[in-house]
Amino acid sequence: MISRTSYNPENPDPDKLKEQDIIPPKRALRFLRWFCREDYIEEIEGDLTELFENQHEENPKKANRKFTWNVIKYFRPEFIKSFTSNYSSNHSAMFRHNFIISFRNFKRYKMSFFINLIGLSTGLACALLIIFWVLDELSVDTFHKNDSQLYQVMVNYADKQGIHTLEGTPGILARTFVDELPEVEGSASVVPNPDRKLEGIISCGNNYTKAEYRFVSKDFFKMFTYKLIQGDKDRVLINKSSIAISKDIALNLFNTAENAVGKFVEWEGDRCNGQFQITGVFQTPPSNSTIQFDVLFTYDLFLEISPEFQTLTGPTGPVTYILLQKNTDVSRFNGSIFNFMKSKYENSKLSLFVRPYSDRYLYNEYKNGMRIGGRIVYVRLFSVIAIFILSIACINFMNLSTANASRRLKEIGIKKAIGASRTEIALQYLGESILITMLSVLLSVLVVALFLPQFNTITGKQLTPNVNLFLIISVLSITVLTGLLAGSYPAFYLSGFRPVSIFKGGGIINKTKNSVGAHLVRRGLVVFQFTISIILIVSVSVLYQQMSFIHLKNLGFDRDHVITFSAEGKVKESIGAFLWGMNNIPGIISTSYMNGNFTGQHGTVYNADWEGKNPDQKVEIGYLGVGYDLFETLGMEIKEGRSFSREFGSESSNAIFNESAIKSMGLIIPVGQTIKILGQKKQIIGVVKDFHFESLYTSVKPIYFTFEPTANNILVKIKRRTEKETLALLEGVYKKYNNGLFLDFRFLDQDYEAQYASEKRVAELSKYFAGIAILISCLGLFGLAAFTAERRTKEIGIRKILGAGVFGIVRMLSGDFTKMVLTAIIIALPISYIIAKNWLDDFAYRIDLEWWFFIGAGFMALLIAWFTVGIQTIKAARVNPVDCLRDE
Amino acid sequence: MIEHSLGEFEELVLLVVAANHTKAYGVLILENLEEKLNKKVNISAIHVALKRMENKGFVISKFGGITKERGGRRKKFYNITALGKKVLDHQYALRTSIYKQIPEISFG
Repeated sequence: MISRTSYNPENPDPDKLKEQDIIPPKRALRFLRWFCREDYIEEIEGDLTELFENQHEENPKKANRKFTWNVIKYFRPEFIKSFTSNYSSNHSAMFRHNFIISFRNFKRYKMSFFINLIGLSTGLACALLIIFWVLDELSVDTFHKNDSQLYQVMVNYADKQGIHTLEGTPGILARTFVDELPEVEGSASVVPNPDRKLEGIISCGNNYTKAEYRFVSKDFFKMFTYKLIQGDKDRVLINKSSIAISKDIALNLFNTAENAVGKFVEWEGDRCNGQFQITGVFQTPPSNSTIQFDVLFTYDLFLEISPEFQTLTGPTGPVTYILLQKNTDVSRFNGSIFNFMKSKYENSKLSLFVRPYSDRYLYNEYKNGMRIGGRIVYVRLFSVIAIFILSIACINFMNLSTANASRRLKEIGIKKAIGASRTEIALQYLGESILITMLSVLLSVLVVALFLPQFNTITGKQLTPNVNLFLIISVLSITVLTGLLAGSYPAFYLSGFRPVSIFKGGGIINKTKNSVGAHLVRRGLVVFQFTISIILIVSVSVLYQQMSFIHLKNLGFDRDHVITFSAEGKVKESIGAFLWGMNNIPGIISTSYMNGNFTGQHGTVYNADWEGKNPDQKVEIGYLGVGYDLFETLGMEIKEGRSFSREFGSESSNAIFNESAIKSMGLIIPVGQTIKILGQKKQIIGVVKDFHFESLYTSVKPIYFTFEPTANNILVKIKRRTEKETLALLEGVYKKYNNGLFLDFRFLDQDYEAQYASEKRVAELSKYFAGIAILISCLGLFGLAAFTAERRTKEIGIRKILGAGVFGIVRMLSGDFTKMVLTAIIIALPISYIIAKNWLDDFAYRIDLEWWFFIGAGFMALLIAWFTVGIQTIKAARVNPVDCLRDE
Repeated sequence: MIEHSLGEFEELVLLVVAANHTKAYGVLILENLEEKLNKKVNISAIHVALKRMENKGFVISKFGGITKERGGRRKKFYNITALGKKVLDHQYALRTSIYKQIPEISFG
């Protein structure tokens, strides 16, 4: 270690000149020493100091000024030392030397090495997976060329409960916007599908296939970057009888994607039927598009089918997207459209605003008209978890390196004595930590490649490791950052040792001030690790309790063993015969149908009228058209009256309400009452007990049911344990009606659980991450315990000779760790209580936070820590005193 | 002897070094010059001149002993070399010979 030795006579430090009365300005002196040539410095400094001393007697202030000024005058080429190192030839040698030293240390202290390697690579693998996921989430809907100009028009609707923010706009808003507002360059209306897919059957000759469809207005392809393979962007969706199909559909129908334009296809769906001419073929939308569709119809066709949407003042439903001019001031634009609806029609309760199109995926939740986040919360949550896990791994490295400093003490001492500067030692240790991080990154890339399929299953994504420049750069920068983070403290700590104290103390640094500080830092870091781990454990257990609470909660209807599928084609046409045919299958208990579903797709009416109604009273009631036997199939309880039945002739003027509807209307004797609703008179024939038809985020809402002869979704209750045979038979019946289609059914509880899909994913993922966090923390603890046990072998030996038992020694060794974990528990529990409470507040039906969640998590952390430490301490305590004492 | 160039300020410093044989160092030279020239001189200028002359071989230097003053820094003493003396002599001779050629001019 040859180095630029800085000039170092008896009084090296400017700070040490304090014994003398007269001290030249420190900063100027330091500056002089920094730049001045080593062979001149003594003479110059001496002369300057002498001048200073002479002058100081007359005028101290002036002397100070003069000294500084003189120093500055020396800052000229003749006196400045060469900063481009004279020893550059040494760099590669030193690099090699450090490299070898690092590897020898890895080899020599295998346990520390493996703890670091495993910890860091697990942490990095988690971080990489989370980065993949976060990048994918952030990329959703951003692939459109006009992304920066694309906005969605949103509707705020105010009532007594507050402001509701809705996506549905009046049917012709898009067109009106383009006509009336100069800032709007283009617009597109899209008819949404809230939860279920809008599906139909497209056929050509004998080829059938199921397709998801949308109605979109004519500028759709100009606004959004969905690639049109065939057809003309401007003319695709002009004619009401046109249809645009995806490449996949074209391949299904014609076995080729070419020359599809101009051909005629048959369409069968619940909104429209008939023959359509293909005017365009588009690339199937990428998976990071929130709109997925196989077939597009014109929006004009939608307006023809549903004429109620042809006005601005009518119902809201279609979603409006607009293309704003470049450099439009969005907040000003928002101000100008706020009262747009009122300006059109006085009584409108709707106010409008726009949001960036690519925000609709991540910022999808509004409360009282304010944006409150949505999926972005999970993106942030997991980013934070990634940082935490990575820092837990870094802390292991810090703790083990500083705890094991005594192993490297002599190396540092000798290097420094030969002339190594502190910077060089620090750089050596930083290099070492970056080296081990690089090894960990290689390992973690392997781990990621191995676990990506499982990760995709849990997250429901299709992440593929496509290696691109951005990824490489981010992985490299993470490596360097992690290396620096992990290595910074040890480098700073280890390089600070003074050679004199190292050799004088004979390697014992316990008593120096420095090591007491390091010990404190180490304890603090362990506490931090465990705090994070405990917070994660508590959160995960609360998450799990709440999820299982939702699963087990009695919803008021029985969703087990009920399958649902949509009525299509001939099944729909001859629904009665189909249901009758199904009822002959032995494994089927009962069948029914409804138009829509519970989990979102049902209509809402605001104007119901009945005898004795308070004219000011406003009610909001959901409605659903259903078939016979629905309540029996779903095991719902009729509280009063009866359900729809074939024995009573026509049911078309009858309705069944749920309890909360009756309550909100204030009816005392409901059965037999006539209600005017949606322009029709309906007689209440029954009241059904309240059941949770929407998600448990909300409380039970009023709803009523009418009988309808046509079916959209068929429900079938199947006998337990006969699913396989029954489904095979059912498939047979279905094939008789719709040959060529396969029965695409789902279990009803799947539908229900889909509402909590994101929670389930978060729960599932955080379970693993919490596990990993506690694992890495314990690895570090294990290393520290091993180190303590090793350092205190002699003490243990002497204690045993004096009569200490194994238990006493174990208790002595683990007492310190117990204190740290207990501190962590005390810090972590209040924090996790706040986090859990905030999350649970979103649910209308939720578990109570029990004290044992917290005590349990704390106890678990303590047990795990004891177990980890115990392995080491018991081993140490059982040692034969002779073995550890005979050396001296 | 054109290669042994000697600037005006250098010459002054060299003269002081020669005059204070074995005792000349930075501050002493500075004080001497300031006294003689009757104006402020900067210490760095003196050091520049000394270093240049040392490179040209006109002076040599050596450290003195440690004293309590000067923050414990040793003094660096400068002595004129034979070459330095020769250059000074040459300069002196040159100036004198030319001076002697000046005719009697009266500015009466």
